[in-house]
Order: sequence, then C-alpha cells, then structure tokens
Amino acid sequence: MVLEVLYPALGIEIVPPPPITKKTIEIGVKLAPQNACFPMKVTLGNFIEGIEKGADTIFMAGGVGPCRFGYYGQIQRIIIEDLGYDVNFVLIDSPRYGWKNFFSSLKTMVGGKWSISHIHRAVRLAWNVLRYVEELEKTSRLVRWKLKDPSQLDRLIEKSLKEIKNITSVVQLEEIRSNALHEISQLNTLEKNEPIKIGIVGEVYIAQEFRVNFNIEKLLGNMGILVDNSVSTAEYVLNFFPLTRSREKEEAWKLAKPFLKRFVGGEGIDTVGSTIRYAQQGFDGVIHLYPFTCMPEAVAKSIVVGVGREYNIPILHLAIDEHAGEAGMITRVEAFVDVLEMRRQQKVRKASCS
Amino acid sequence: MDLYLGVDVGSVTTKFALITSDKKIYSSCYLKTSGDPIAALKTGLKYIQSHYPSGGVIRGVGTTGSARHLAGVVVGADMVKNEITAHAVAAITLLPEVRTVFEIGGQDSKLIIIRDQVVEDFAMNTICAAGTGSFLEHQAVRLGIPIEEFGKLALQAQQSVRIAGRCTVFAESDMIHKQQLGFGKPEIIRGLCEALVRNFINNLATGKTILDPIVFQGGVAANQGIVQAFHDFYQGKYKIIVPQEHGIMGAWGAALLVLAAKQEKTSFQGFEVINRSYENRSFTCDDCPNSCEIVVLKEENKVKALWGSRCGKWIPELVDEKFSEKEEKTLSFSKNS
Ligand code: SF4
Ligand code: SF4
Repeated sequence: MVLEVLYPALGIEIVPPPPITKKTIEIGVKLAPQNACFPMKVTLGNFIEGIEKGADTIFMAGGVGPCRFGYYGQIQRIIIEDLGYDVNFVLIDSPRYGWKNFFSSLKTMVGGKWSISHIHRAVRLAWNVLRYVEELEKTSRLVRWKLKDPSQLDRLIEKSLKEIKNITSVVQLEEIRSNALHEISQLNTLEKNEPIKIGIVGEVYIAQEFRVNFNIEKLLGNMGILVDNSVSTAEYVLNFFPLTRSREKEEAWKLAKPFLKRFVGGEGIDTVGSTIRYAQQGFDGVIHLYPFTCMPEAVAKSIVVGVGREYNIPILHLAIDEHAGEAGMITRVEAFVDVLEMRRQQKVRKASCS
Repeated sequence: MDLYLGVDVGSVTTKFALITSDKKIYSSCYLKTSGDPIAALKTGLKYIQSHYPSGGVIRGVGTTGSARHLAGVVVGADMVKNEITAHAVAAITLLPEVRTVFEIGGQDSKLIIIRDQVVEDFAMNTICAAGTGSFLEHQAVRLGIPIEEFGKLALQAQQSVRIAGRCTVFAESDMIHKQQLGFGKPEIIRGLCEALVRNFINNLATGKTILDPIVFQGGVAANQGIVQAFHDFYQGKYKIIVPQEHGIMGAWGAALLVLAAKQEKTSFQGFEVINRSYENRSFTCDDCPNSCEIVVLKEENKVKALWGSRCGKWIPELVDEKFSEKEEKTLSFSKNS
C-alpha cells in the first residue's frame, strides 16, 4: 500500500501487487518450503503476482533475529530466481545495523537517480499515507461497534483508499483525510453503552493483515464489540529505528519484563506486554493471533496463558495458516464473545448481591 | 403451552429438541445428516410435529451446529448460536456444579471449562479426526463390528493393548499389527478407546485445568468403552456423568438459549416448511481471484440466502438480476452434497 505511493512520487512506475486472495496464498504455499512461516508464504505469493503483473524490482524489509524472519528475504529471492524471473531484489535491513546499508538499499530501490531531498519527500509522503491508513483503521475500530449500518463505513473506507492511490503531495492527502474522517463522524449510530472490549495482540503480519486473519476486526466490530489492535505497521517501521520507538511499545516492554526477560524474536515481548496492558486497562478479553509455526509467538503464548491467569482476563489463541478454516475460527470467536458477555453478567449479578 | 425448539445441524448428525417453558424436554430426535441438511431438517420437523403436545405453541426457535445459519433461515430462527455456547448452557442447566464438559461428536470434539456456571475457557478440534467419532466408526468398519456393539465389547477386555493412535492412519496399521500378534477384538477395541481418549486429552486439554464433575456429551458418549477409558485415564478419581440426553445436548442448549432470551415474537416458519421446496447449491464466483465458494439457498425457486462471499456482494436483494446473468452458469452448479 505505502510502496504504491512512494514509487509514483519518485517518478518510477509502480506495479502494486494485487490484493491478497486465495490464489496468492495458494501460489505462496506451493512455492515456499513446507515448514516456512505462513507470512513468508503469503508475501512470496504476493511478490510472484506482482512480478506477473510486470514488476522488475522487489523490495522487502528484513527482520531481526533470532527467529526465521531474518533470512526469509534471502530464501524468497532464491526461490524467485530459481523460477527464472529476472528481477532486482532489494532487502532493507534495520538501520540499527548500519545507516550506510539502509541508504544504499533505498538508493538502489529508486534506481540511484534521485537526490536525497527527493527521496526524503517521497518517503515522507509514503509515511504519511501509512499513518493515514492506520488512522482510518483505528477510527473504524472506534465507531464500528455502534453503527446502525456498518456496511456504510466499509464503503467510505473503500472510497478513501482508492482516492489516495493517485496523490503526489501531503496536501492532497490531508484533504482526503479530513473529508473521510468527517464523513465517518456523520454516520448513524445506535444508542449503546459500555461495549465489550477486546484487544488484539500477536505477530505483526497476521494481526494486521485483514486479508489473512479473516478480517477479525470487522467481524468483531459488526458484532458490537469495541476492538483495539496493539499491532501497527507504522510502529513496526518505527521500531526499526533506535530512537523512535513509541511510548506504548516501551511501556509494553516494561510490563512484559517480569514475565519475559529476553528478546525472543518477532513480536514475542510485545504480545506479552500488550496483553498485560489490556488487562490493566479493563478490557474484557484479548485475542492472540499468530502464524501456526511461529516460534516467538509460541513462547509468548505459553507466557500469556500465565498472564491471563494472574490478571484474570480471558484470552483466545488463534493460530492461522493455510489450513485454518474460516468456519471454525468464527465459531471460536463467537463463543469467546459469549464467554465475555457471560462474565459481565456474572459480575453485575455478584455486585448486586453484595 | 409455550414451547421452544432447538435445532442442531452438524455435518454428521442433526438433532432436535422441543422444550417447555420449565426447560424440560418434551420430545427430541437424533438423525443422520447424510450430506443433506435440508432433508434432515424436514425429517426432524416431521418427527417433532408428530410428537407435539396438543395446544402447544412454539414461541421461539434456536439453531446451532456447523449448518446453524442454513438451518436458521430454513426453519426461521430467533437465535443462531455457536455450538460451544449451546453445549455449555445445556450442561450447566443439567448440572449446575459442572466444571468441565467433554463433547465428542462425529466430526469434531470440544472441551469446555466451566467455573461458577460461567464458561471460563474452551478448545475445539476440527482438524484432527483421531479425536472424534468418525475415528471409531472407521475402525469399527475395519473390524467388522457394528459401532453400537463397540462399547460393550471394550468392557469385556481382560487387559488393554496400547495402540499408537496419534492419527487415524497410524492407528489403523498398528491395529492390524496387534491383531496379527494375536490380541482379541475386545482388547483391540479397548486399546482404540484409550487411544481416542489420549488424543482428546492431548489435543484439547493441554494447559487447561480439568476439574470434576465432568459432563460427557455428544454422540460418542453413548460408547461405554470410551466412558470407561476416561475413568481409567483419571484413575477413577473424577466424577464423569453421561446425561441421558447426551446426544441432543446442543439442540437442548439452543432451545434453552432462545427461551432465556424472552423475545416477544418468533420468526418460526411453522411446519409448512416440510412441504416447501428448497434447493441448496453452490457455485464458485469468478469475479476476482478469491474464487469464493458461494452457497445459495433457494426457497420455492426464489433466492432466500447466500453465504460465503468475502466481499459481501452476494446478497439476496441484489442478486436477482446478477443472477439471471449468471443463470447459464447455474447449469454448472453442482448439487451441494
Ligand atoms: S515472527 Fe514468527 S512467523 Fe514471523 S518469521 Fe519469526 S517465526 Fe516466522
Ligand atoms: S464473492 Fe467477492 S471476493 Fe469472492 S470471488 Fe466474488 S468478487 Fe471476489
């Protein structure tokens, strides 16, 4: 999404990868090693579809060990080269491992033709777009649960996302942004108070990418639940840079300390810390989303179970991969919501007895 | 007399429970779905109609099970609930002090942890067949024993033989191996029951605190061999109760839930449903690479409901014109079986 904006602003034609569909997943699953993580399979499928549409340069962010994310880019590159595609592969590593590498990757990415200030402007626009997309998601989380007709919201979001595809400046973005936010605020709402609140934690890709997590946020929102997602792509990017980590992230890490002292890779620590944060903020429950074979999240899961006991907050763990069935997931989510509702009623009953 | 109907349509069996306002079951039935949920629904309704108190009025209908949405549209449900909640509510009503529910059906199994009459945690297995009823049925066929006899035979075993039952395929070859070693059928069956119980516990109970009393429900609870294997697993320390209504707990739960909702009007379609014509088909939408499998329910040749679209574009109100466009494609509709 963001790359789509970054490239046209840089004057390079961009081929946006087609949205993730069942076919994307099928391609990725077929080509990737069987025991690779699900996110790696899906992004691989994504790249292939992008190449089929004419892309000649692929950009991918490298992750930080000790989990397998660190070398996924390499494997994907080998697979794509073995298939006989002639494309450039640009791996962007965290600047934590050296700014020189970071900038030279960025430069290769744009073909080496542009000045630093040009790149800077493009990156800034892309960054603002990413922030806006997340703002839209956040806003819809805040209102969806009380809307009379949530499908109106879906339409507004879709419209706005289409509009930002062609922009070239932050000013244009700002106009689209204020329009959309205004329209959303005008939607009809129902009289409801005190919704059930659920926080989402887990691995960044699965927890964030609605096309692979069966759009769990929308599912919950349409059931009248207020959802918060602790995972954000913008955060993820910020975390690449040593000084820009957000307060929430620092806080989550601090909270996780008593339970988990070592970096376990991926978002393991964040999962633990955010679960505690939700518990302290009085959320009714937490949903933990992760790829089926993800090591950091498996570690986090076993710790989160203890956190749930200690803080008395129900947690639903959902492992997602190419075998996950939508029906089974919906049944679990519905049952989980029932659990939260029953607990609320029980609390009310107990309070009125004493 | 006010009545409430609960319907539980699973992929293997379909259950009905008709209850009175004091939560008691007036009549119930348990049928095979046999791949045709609509036929099963009609058969069940016929049964309920002929086991119906004079002067009774159905005030509410609840559906549950994997085909709960379909059943809800056909019968006219006031409440469509997931099977975990339905099973839990039935168990709590039956035995308020229940702390654990084991439910083993034909295609899936569930474990529900209850404390103070509230569900605290649950787990459901929908992928691995080795912890479900179909595992046993499969092996029964192999051994040439009717599944009804299975449990009784298991109890006759003098000793048990350990069968590696991690998955159906292994269990099968290991079973044959044990047969060749000369173990009798009762021993082998007992071994299979124990393997199923181990699978159930391994798959669902890891990290959960199982406390008794345990209510064991679902079709497989009829199998005394499995009940015994659970007792043995817990070395007889846990109180395990198999309710008489074990097979229809989900349907009963759905009825109880709709009773508790106390709504004023019901959407129940009446027993005329038995005489209406329904068509349940599916086709693949090829408007985008998602290739959603769209399920269409037609009532008297009119599109009544659609499921399965990811983008939400297939809705009955909009579908008629789009449909005529696609009508030729309907030819290639395969009957949903
Ligand atoms: S975080 Fe998990 S899913 Fe992601 S690469 Fe690491 S192990 Fe795989
Ligand atoms: S129903 Fe919608 S999402 Fe599914 S294949 Fe058709 S157009 Fe695509």
